[in-house]
Amino acid sequence: MRDRIQSRWRGIVLSLIGIVAIVWLAVTGQLGLYIHPRYYEFTVVMAVLGGVMVLAAFAFVPGAAPDADGHDHGDGHDHGDGHDHADGHDHSASSASASARGVLWTALTALVVVGAVVALLVVPPSTLTTATVDQRDLNNAAAVSDAADSPQLTGGDTADFTVKDWASILRQGAGEKYFAGKSATLTGFVTPDPADPENVFYVARFVVTCCAVDAQPVGVPVYLPGWEAEHPVDSWVTVSGGFATNPSTSSAPAIVLEPASVQAVDQPAEPYVY
Amino acid sequence: MIGAVIAAGLVVLRLVSAGWAPEALPDRLRDFVTLSTSVVIESLPFVFLGILISIAVRFWVPERFIHRVMPKHPALRRVTISLVGVLLPVCECGNVPLARGFMMKGFSVPEAMTFLLAAPILNPVTIVTTYQAFGWDDGILVGRIAGGFVIANLVGWLFSRHPDPRSLLTARFDAACRLEASGHGPSTAGGRGFVPTARRAALAFAEETSTMLPALLVGSAIAGAIQVGLSRDVLVALGGNPIWSVLALMILAFVIAICSNVDAFFILAFGSTFLPGGIVAFLVFGAMVDVKMITLMKTTFTTAALVRLVALVALASLALGFGVNLLA
Repeated sequence: MRDRIQSRWRGIVLSLIGIVAIVWLAVTGQLGLYIHPRYYEFTVVMAVLGGVMVLAAFAFVPGAAPDADGHDHGDGHDHGDGHDHADGHDHSASSASASARGVLWTALTALVVVGAVVALLVVPPSTLTTATVDQRDLNNAAAVSDAADSPQLTGGDTADFTVKDWASILRQGAGEKYFAGKSATLTGFVTPDPADPENVFYVARFVVTCCAVDAQPVGVPVYLPGWEAEHPVDSWVTVSGGFATNPSTSSAPAIVLEPASVQAVDQPAEPYVY
Repeated sequence: MIGAVIAAGLVVLRLVSAGWAPEALPDRLRDFVTLSTSVVIESLPFVFLGILISIAVRFWVPERFIHRVMPKHPALRRVTISLVGVLLPVCECGNVPLARGFMMKGFSVPEAMTFLLAAPILNPVTIVTTYQAFGWDDGILVGRIAGGFVIANLVGWLFSRHPDPRSLLTARFDAACRLEASGHGPSTAGGRGFVPTARRAALAFAEETSTMLPALLVGSAIAGAIQVGLSRDVLVALGGNPIWSVLALMILAFVIAICSNVDAFFILAFGSTFLPGGIVAFLVFGAMVDVKMITLMKTTFTTAALVRLVALVALASLALGFGVNLLA
């Protein structure tokens, strides 16, 4: 029985966990927390097809004949005759150690199943946090360079610019002349400036190309002494204001946003930019 | 019945826990869960697709057909097999179940390896996205396609010199293949007709997911943990050096474990920081081998075989990357 659970039900249960997680995320519109929108349809279609197979498995597997020799080894391929053992170790190991190994495998399987349930179904979905910003170098040339080449930036309407667009322009080092008189309204999460966390924070977003694993943080620096009292790290805000020379001497950016208003907002439905 | 109960239980669990606040977890842990989950959600559909195609090949494609179409000469066979990916635009995590299906259908081990290495690169989706990302710049597209093709065939040829290629398979999988070849395997047991075949297909799905999904989940967790633990700065800092850029990007490709269909977009963002040879090495090595792929391949190949496979692919990718840097 234990072998059968290992060889067949393990996969069916894990599939079911994955399918429930994907379908629930899709129905509640939260797939965007994990993957790029271009995969939504493919992911949902495959989850549904997988669901059909799981249904079929539930219908057929209980009635499937067990192996003729009564052994059903971990990988789960039937072998109708008794003289071709799939495992190999049955021949060499004593039955006691084989059974100990069986217990170990069962425990590992249980661990994987519990882990999958916790990660996919129990932990509420969330975006990445400042912990990952620290890890990945905010406004790394990598994340912003391609955006800088896009034609919309060279003559586009600045009112539509995203956090990513402004981050690219700042990164390119457009002079103060460019920023004079320009203002921006940006929504993102709050992450502190590493050099001057008292006075400067970034209104930041993650850029996602495929799934959250490749997320690159981009952000626009905002000068607001004592910001942390009102806007905790990782909370979402909408900042509007004009650009000015950075009054903070210890932080790196030359130009910052001087906010006319900073408003706490709810996390948007699509927290990442693409 | 049991199925309905389990499914309902999982749905209820999800609905109940959805209201909890994610802030309860420490940031690092929360990001680890988010990152690992995103790898699972990204890859799981491809693994399902790979398993479904593999089942279709095993149960519905007649053996005679495959043998008539394929050339007789081993090297030509491998060349043909390395182009099969063109017909099957599956991302590399879906290729492992598919390669298993091919081996059950009588393909040799070196042939399956050639397929496994070539298909993620020589498939239309990968080629189109690489073209969209880089165009003809710096020979990146050509380097990736030609390099992937040559490396896959080279590795296939080297493994075909092995005196007993079957010993490269795990004992379990080898036994399953032998059984299938003997004509008493699950793909023929129980008679012909739609219902028996559907029953066998459902069983095969249960068995393949039982093998693949634990590996996928463990691989995703490792990928997520590395992401949380390893700072990117170091790798990026090495990017401008002709030698180190190739190595650094190969390590990045190995740990980041993203699908070959989209890795071109990802690395495009690094285009200005890294030399083209590094990018080609990233696009070739990462498509063939990464942490997630290794846990998946471990279900089928022995550790010794995998070590040799990874070493060969890594050396060849290094050579390719240095070559492109020299020319560009």
